[in-house]
Amino acid sequence: MKTVKSMSLYVPGNSIIHRLEPITKLIYVMVAGVLPFILPANPTAVLCLAVTLAMLTISKTLTKVIPLTGFTLLVLLSILFIQGLFHEHNQTFLFRFGPFVFFKEGLSYAARISLRVINLLLGISLLSLTTKPSDLIDSLVRRGLSPKIGYVLSSVLQIIPQMAASVNAITDAQRARGLETEGPLIVRAKAFLPLIGPVIMSSLIQARERAMALEVRGFNANRRKTFLRAANQSSRQTTIRILLILILFAAIVWRIFA
Amino acid sequence: MKKIIVEKLKYRYPMTGKLALDNLSFTVEQGELIGIIGANGAGKSTLCLALTGLVPHFYRGAYGGKVVIDGLEVIKSEISELALHVGIVFQNPFTQVTGSKLTVYEEIAFGLENMGLDRSEMTARIDEALHLLDISQLKDRDPFQLSGGQMQRMAIASVIAMKPGILVLDEPTSQLDPQGSDEVFKAVRRLAKEGMTVIIAEHKIEKIAAYADRVLVLYNGRLIDFDTPHKIFSRTDLLSYGVPAPVYTQICQALGIQHPRSGTYPVTLEEAYLAMVNQHGDSLC
Repeated sequence: MKTVKSMSLYVPGNSIIHRLEPITKLIYVMVAGVLPFILPANPTAVLCLAVTLAMLTISKTLTKVIPLTGFTLLVLLSILFIQGLFHEHNQTFLFRFGPFVFFKEGLSYAARISLRVINLLLGISLLSLTTKPSDLIDSLVRRGLSPKIGYVLSSVLQIIPQMAASVNAITDAQRARGLETEGPLIVRAKAFLPLIGPVIMSSLIQARERAMALEVRGFNANRRKTFLRAANQSSRQTTIRILLILILFAAIVWRIFA
Repeated sequence: MKKIIVEKLKYRYPMTGKLALDNLSFTVEQGELIGIIGANGAGKSTLCLALTGLVPHFYRGAYGGKVVIDGLEVIKSEISELALHVGIVFQNPFTQVTGSKLTVYEEIAFGLENMGLDRSEMTARIDEALHLLDISQLKDRDPFQLSGGQMQRMAIASVIAMKPGILVLDEPTSQLDPQGSDEVFKAVRRLAKEGMTVIIAEHKIEKIAAYADRVLVLYNGRLIDFDTPHKIFSRTDLLSYGVPAPVYTQICQALGIQHPRSGTYPVTLEEAYLAMVNQHGDSLC
């Protein structure tokens, strides 16, 4: 069977951002993502974006963000285009681009949406690129997440690509025995049916064997689980987390009373 | 000290009419290395599952008799409890990868984390298992990126690191080359010397002959014989149970070369050579 890379986006490294406790990063992403929705959008989003970009630069993962966000940027560009042209409150003429007339209100509305989305997206990218999924899950399990749910979350990233590889192997085997799998849509649709049986059966068998393997490695043992990775529980990280949560509360309070 | 007691064990898979295990009784002492041999469908894998409690806890079906592992009666114990006493490595290493860890090192740690070991003990055991299976150089690799043989060694290391009193290996060398197979057998031989009881179901007869203390022959779910490799492979009716004797034994049988005292045939190359020299003296050279 062909081997397939895990779906994890983690880029190995040893920067200060990599070394941050995953929960600290998770809280940062949540706070930075939510703040522009509570406080005045543009300056807050720009500030959060600047911090996230600085962290991405420090962790040397900035270049990896581009392929991750490429498609979304395309969507945001189309939002800028459509809102700039057709937003319902468009009044103030800004500039003309060929036959297209852009208005200030629409563009500023689209910019606000775009900034919020990019901010959120870069935050999530920062977390994914600098945190091993297993470390994040471990941190969550340490704080009370069920190990079973933790396993499902972390295994999905690795096992789905393997299942996709199984499907490819079965397709190749069927093709070797004369099944037409390429050509017009109707031919492909016909080829799909003979694949369903073997794919489902092999997945079920593999799932059963894996369940047994987990069982005999003490997955359900009635013992207090320990972790290979040491928890990074420095007082500085705790301070950062408390500070982030306080900022969020302060923002909510400001929003309610201001 | 008896580590495994099997009494009148019978088992039939659900929705089948034939017994997969038919009235098996035997005992295994601590530190023994036992080879299970038999043709395909003889019941080797089912016996391995029964020795770990996966039969009948995981595979339902009709079950009778008694299996006692390390003082625990299998049918009355949870698999999670048994897992701390007996480890198993299955034929297919691919499905033994947990899928939740990104490196071989973390993968081996999975069972140790579940056992609740502290970190220093964990790292010491992982390093020892990596060294024993000669896969230290793979410790930072993605488990799914390994070759079949490497994955098989990692699966064995993952179970060995848990240091179960009993280790069950179901065709552990099916994807390994001859050198890799030798290393695995040497590693388990060493573990047996240190007190671990090892059960290996295997088709590689020469390896079983060379490394096992005793050999259990299965045929259609029945126990045909359970004795030393010399006695088992000296049986003239062995082939009728779908098991050929090691090639060295067959040559010695054809030439009539036996151990003078026991009357059994040599089972390894070294033994065959010595027996030939003893019998024919310098005329061989």
